[in-house]
Amino acid sequence: MWLPLLGLILGISLGLLTDIQIPEIYESYLSIAVLAALDTLFGGIRAQLQHVYDDKVFVSGFFFNIGLAAALAFLGVHLGVDLYLAAIFAFGVRLFQNIAVIRRMLLTKWSERKNA
Amino acid sequence: MKKRNQLLKIPSRGRILISLVSLVLGFILAYSYSIAVENEAERNSTSESFLEQTKYREELIKQKERNKELTEEINESQQAIRELEQTFANSEESAEALVKEAEKLRLLMGDIPSQGKGISVSLEDGAYNPSQENPNDYIVHESHVFKVVNELKISGAEAISINGQRLRANSFIRCTGPVITIDGKTFPAPFTIEAVGDPEVLLASVHLGGGVLDQLTSDNIVVTVEEKGNITMPALRDEKS
Repeated sequence: MWLPLLGLILGISLGLLTDIQIPEIYESYLSIAVLAALDTLFGGIRAQLQHVYDDKVFVSGFFFNIGLAAALAFLGVHLGVDLYLAAIFAFGVRLFQNIAVIRRMLLTKWSERKNA
Repeated sequence: MKKRNQLLKIPSRGRILISLVSLVLGFILAYSYSIAVENEAERNSTSESFLEQTKYREELIKQKERNKELTEEINESQQAIRELEQTFANSEESAEALVKEAEKLRLLMGDIPSQGKGISVSLEDGAYNPSQENPNDYIVHESHVFKVVNELKISGAEAISINGQRLRANSFIRCTGPVITIDGKTFPAPFTIEAVGDPEVLLASVHLGGGVLDQLTSDNIVVTVEEKGNITMPALRDEKS
């Protein structure tokens, strides 16, 4: 458990220490990246609980989703269509679904343990 | 010893990948957080300065309106005084001369508007002459403007203006580089000097042999003298805006 935690702490401190300014129009990319990352994270947790977790799928999904979302936003900026809204919508819906599934499974586990 | 071994053992590929993922995740979260904080601070500061600006602008507008009201009040009072003097003059013959004197002095101070026949003299820089090294030899200086203004005053001009800026008794004309400052306002060449008064007298005095016109022409200045049928000059008020 110590290595992923170390990575998280290192990433957070790097992010807080970075002092790069990005242009305002590219800030939507960042918000999408955040959503994509969170979505994949919760997807991974769900898969773990459902015993279908595979780290190849998880890792490739993480980076691929971030890249896809950024590409979509990039295309949107250059076409003048707010395509990043599509990404935000898709990821938002999936995020809620994943969290709902996780909650239900945790609840089932808890009640099973209580009954036992 | 066992735990130590566990710590030192080479982590599995999955662990490394997950660590990488959590590193990227942490970086993205922290970075977007810091950017959001910066944006928030920026927005606050801009809205504050904007509010301040609006406040000062409103204050300025209010002051200007007040100024305008007061100026109108002055004009009204001046008019009332003149009317009173007129009635006074009608009733008493001896006071008539004094009233005329007061009128003349007011014109001199630029307190009341002036209107009537007159002339206009425009001074322009001479054409660029490459053979002359010093451009001072063919541009209009404030001394030239002085000469014309003095000549017009001597010839009995009621009111004089330069490029629309009316002169009063205590006006100042200063040379400030390539332009001229009159009562704190700058004017570039060419200068059009307008004077209200008897056009015949004024023209004659300007055209006098060896007089102003000749002196200016010998200084390479392009002078145009015109007779004007009707010149209107507004009353002069201290409006620094």
